[in-house]
Amino acid sequence: MNIMALSLASNLLILLILSSLDWLPSPGSTFLTDWDHTTSSALIEPHFTECISRDQETFRCWWSPGTFHNLSSPGALRVFYLKKESPTSQWKECPKYIHSNRECFFDANHTSIWITYCMQLRTQNNITYFNEDDCFRVENIVRPDPPVSLNWTLLTISPSRLNYDVMVNWESPPTADVRLGWMRLEYELQYREGNTTNWEALEIQPHSHQTIYGLHLGKEYEVHIRCRMQVFIKFGEFSESIFIQVTEIPSTEFPVHLTLVFVFGTVGILILIMLIVISQQNRLMIFLLPPVPAPKIKGIDSELLKKGKLDELNFMLSGGGMDGLPIYAPDFYQDELWVELMEVNETEDVDSGEKEDNRGSDTQKLLGQSQPVSQHINISCSNSISGPDAESAQATCYNSDLPEEETLMLMATLLPGQPDEEETSLDTVERSSASETGERQLIQTQTRGPQTWVNTDFYAQVSNVMPSGGVVLSPGQQLRIQESISAAEKETKKKRKESEDSEESEERKQKEPQFQLLVVDPEGSAYSTESSIQQISTPPPSSPMPGEGYHIIHPQPVEPRPAATMEVNPSPYILPDSPQFFAPVADYTVVQELDSHHSLLLNLPSHQTPPSCLPQHPLKAPMPVGYITPDLLGNLSQ
Amino acid sequence: NCPLSLLVSVVLVGLLCLVFCSQPTSLDAAPLCTNAEAGCHVLSLANLFDRVIQHSARMHSISNDLHSEFELYFLPSKNQIGRVSRNCHTSNILTPNGKENAQRMAREELTEVILKLLVAWRDPLWHFHQSMTHFHDFIDFSSNKSLKMSDMVHELRKGVQKVVEKMQMLGILSNSVSSLMSPEAFLAPGSAEWRLMKDYELLYCFRRDSNKVQNYLKILKCRIVPEDGC
Repeated sequence: MNIMALSLASNLLILLILSSLDWLPSPGSTFLTDWDHTTSSALIEPHFTECISRDQETFRCWWSPGTFHNLSSPGALRVFYLKKESPTSQWKECPKYIHSNRECFFDANHTSIWITYCMQLRTQNNITYFNEDDCFRVENIVRPDPPVSLNWTLLTISPSRLNYDVMVNWESPPTADVRLGWMRLEYELQYREGNTTNWEALEIQPHSHQTIYGLHLGKEYEVHIRCRMQVFIKFGEFSESIFIQVTEIPSTEFPVHLTLVFVFGTVGILILIMLIVISQQNRLMIFLLPPVPAPKIKGIDSELLKKGKLDELNFMLSGGGMDGLPIYAPDFYQDELWVELMEVNETEDVDSGEKEDNRGSDTQKLLGQSQPVSQHINISCSNSISGPDAESAQATCYNSDLPEEETLMLMATLLPGQPDEEETSLDTVERSSASETGERQLIQTQTRGPQTWVNTDFYAQVSNVMPSGGVVLSPGQQLRIQESISAAEKETKKKRKESEDSEESEERKQKEPQFQLLVVDPEGSAYSTESSIQQISTPPPSSPMPGEGYHIIHPQPVEPRPAATMEVNPSPYILPDSPQFFAPVADYTVVQELDSHHSLLLNLPSHQTPPSCLPQHPLKAPMPVGYITPDLLGNLSQ
Repeated sequence: NCPLSLLVSVVLVGLLCLVFCSQPTSLDAAPLCTNAEAGCHVLSLANLFDRVIQHSARMHSISNDLHSEFELYFLPSKNQIGRVSRNCHTSNILTPNGKENAQRMAREELTEVILKLLVAWRDPLWHFHQSMTHFHDFIDFSSNKSLKMSDMVHELRKGVQKVVEKMQMLGILSNSVSSLMSPEAFLAPGSAEWRLMKDYELLYCFRRDSNKVQNYLKILKCRIVPEDGC
């Protein structure tokens, strides 16, 4: 008795000391919290390790004596529980012991859900080891059994024959009454490759099947599943693992061939379609998007507007035989007095040094002949002045301030060609015919009044070459001349600065263009023409016309002023418009506008050209010839 | 080239539209009606039970979430199960504490129990929600689950009443339950007990009771609607 009392007292004392020291781990912190194993050296009193329910109808509890080894014998510790279903509940002893396991089993009769249980360990001496934390409700300690009957089926193999998908099926644990709905489970599937340590976990879901995607062929996979109650936290144990492996399947030739056939067939068909589309592109385009019909002028066949058929066009425009065209063409020619034929005697030798004399003589001739023309110019100019630009036209018609150097227009004149001169040609078209060396060519002076200059092209077309060497200019084209003149003027300017040497003449001979032009500067009219032409835009001085230089000889004795004032004042060199306005060969001019009577007002392409000097008769187009280019015609067809 | 390709693309787009636009539109939701009127899609009892059970499962889930969050937010210390000092206010309602007990219970009784539980929680949850509105942080944290919960209890009660009506119409349930349908019948003397409970205790109790309701409904369905495994 004493011994027993002593032992009891010592136990109590130890307990007191230890509890006071408070380093003893809280007793009873068993299955509800993690058991701290670091304090294994310390005294651990008997406690419950875990209480688990598998089916939410029964549950079990396991205890451990801790470090109290004397209590480890079966029966030394007793389990008591309290069901808090009424305020007067009492502690009851475990309904069934399993001492071999240190387990207390509560069957269905003793199990109540939704009621708090508290567990207690008591020794034979009624020492109670109780922890408040060891109270629970059965639904919270449920850990379901693992699912059973795991199996897998192959779903698909990827076309690359490297991956495959697998469907895993299982059944809910038999202990869980799922059909009734008493337990609603959700499953977690985990798999790993071969013997690696990391498990891949798939999403938790309540169905009893799941697909694993992206497994690799040839490798072995291990799969296991566990489950828990929905909304609750505790998982059951893992099921037994199953192993999945799919070995290399000998690829049958058929699928490969089929794929290749499809691919190549599709590519071939596509290529064929593209070829068809490309080859029949035009027809397809016409079929899908019909072309817009070209503009058509009533009474004029568009064929006539093509190159080389001006005669017919002229005929038609002049009203010959066609209806609908206003017959005003004949009026064109009433003022065509500016076409003149001039001949210059070529017997005189023209040296470089005597050029001026020659020029002088020539000039006189020209002046003599041109004067009436200039008068006529004045007259015609005055007649023609009309329109808003009358003042400027007047200024151009009569003397006015001399234009700047740039605003020069070259008056084509004839020049006795030097016998040792290179062959000259008027333009590319006439080149072949005028290729005899030493042949003088006559260049018709377009001494027409400023009216002509202003309103029309100040150029003429050489329509014929006289056997005597004269050149017959027909109205309409002075493109070449003007183009060449600009270049020639540059040359001339250069030469003007240098002295006139034989070298120059040699140069000239070598660089000589096909023919030469003498700029005639009639005393009065020259200026007038100058001034009349000052309005005309100047070509850029840099417009090169290689090979077609015109030798411009200044009419020195007659007009010393122009010679001296070549740089200062605009000499009678009248540069034509910039060549860009003119196409090389075609006989055309720019149609300026269409007046109220639907007549074509053909004008010089110079924008500075005042269109004022129109013939008074509104129907009269200033152009001697109605040259119209097809593209311009398109603009007019309204 | 450009117009041709444009034309082809337009044609393709048109074809695609034809393919996809010709698919039938979404299924029309048939209106529910209790009486078998013409054009109504009458729900079967099984369907009604399923809906109610789903609702109760969701209610239980939310209550569980709210309880955990409450614990985390206000009571970060350990497990508080043992700390509940008093019983839940619904303890006076006799509820079957196990599967067998529930299975042995009469259908009418079981139905009554369910309804009693649902009615008993209507006011406390509303009060809980009101008290929680002061804790704005917690409401943000718990994303206003308390309001959802009180709504769900209300909805579930109405749903169960509908089920009971249907069962009575079908003759499955006797009409003895009808006397208990009105909320006034459930105003037991102890109905004000919940005011004495703390918020945490309310959550703790409701989590349990929502699980009860869910399980009772399942058992009830299994007994009334013949199904495999019941």
